[in-house]
Amino acid sequence: MREHDKIRELLALAAASALEENEQAMVERHIGECGECARELAAWNAMAGGLRRLPTPRPRAEVVERTRALMVRQLAAEAERRWDLSLLVFAVLFAWTLTLAGWPIARLLSSGAAAWLDVSFRQAWLGYAAYTAFGWVTAGVAAAILGVRHRAVRRMA
Amino acid sequence: MAWEVPVRLESEAARLRRGDPAAFEALLERYQNRLYRYLLRMVREPATAEDIFQQTWLRVAEKIRSYNPQRSFEAWLFSVTRNLAIDHLRRYKPESLDEPTATGETRLEQLPGQGPTALEGVIVRERSSRMAEALGELPVIYREVLSLRFEDEMKLEEIAEVLGTPLSTVKTRLRRGLEQMRVRLETRGAASDWKV
Repeated sequence: MREHDKIRELLALAAASALEENEQAMVERHIGECGECARELAAWNAMAGGLRRLPTPRPRAEVVERTRALMVRQLAAEAERRWDLSLLVFAVLFAWTLTLAGWPIARLLSSGAAAWLDVSFRQAWLGYAAYTAFGWVTAGVAAAILGVRHRAVRRMA
Repeated sequence: MAWEVPVRLESEAARLRRGDPAAFEALLERYQNRLYRYLLRMVREPATAEDIFQQTWLRVAEKIRSYNPQRSFEAWLFSVTRNLAIDHLRRYKPESLDEPTATGETRLEQLPGQGPTALEGVIVRERSSRMAEALGELPVIYREVLSLRFEDEMKLEEIAEVLGTPLSTVKTRLRRGLEQMRVRLETRGAASDWKV
């Protein structure tokens, strides 16, 4: 390909300031010698200038206001969701702490009564663990169902 | 103008990530015209552009915590906007817009403008210019690149980030877009509108 043809292919991008440095230098050198390419580049530059000068359409004021109000509401909802999540994490950690600490504390506080009732440590602990696990599994299933319903409601909104 | 100042300050990004309503309102004020213009260039219908404009800001409020302050905020904002606009165009044209057709181009590349719409009408009336009309007739991938480059004056690297494409693709679309636009203007005999 002749240099002239190669340069012509670069002229549109030159008008968009999208050439590499070496390509830009080639173009500048060539148009200094070639009137045809110089005119062509001027035409591309004029078109690029026309694009830059197109008027900027603006959104209607009521649309912007409505968007602003919805956005503030959305931010509040997001903040509430984050707060709920933090609260949930805290509640879960707190509940597990109570669960794990509950038995030793109960033993500590009622060692005499437990002996009087003749409660075997092993049996009582297993029963306690099974009861707790059942409670947590039930709560987990309920949370999953609620989560799925909540997501469906958000999708429909 | 104030709305053209990009988000650069780290503290501003941090305020946005914290969900500070005042920071969001300032952001809306700053970018409303540019985003709306970009959406109009993409979807060409003012009513649709307004809907997506609203959705965009709600999505920004929802997803701001996923924004990485190391990246360009503008590129992130425009890519959120673009994704919503593309989703709309896909619904409008349910065939896959990304699968290559017999010509080797994707449907998205071929999606044409459909003659003057309300947008072009307004611009043409206001400016008595055929340029906006010709821009509106280009396939969407060329319209958006030309708009981002010439109207928003984005760097090529930022455009590549918004589009999620390599820099070479951006340059190719830019060149083809300009060439197609020139052909359209010359066909209309509108050369005197833009030639020196």
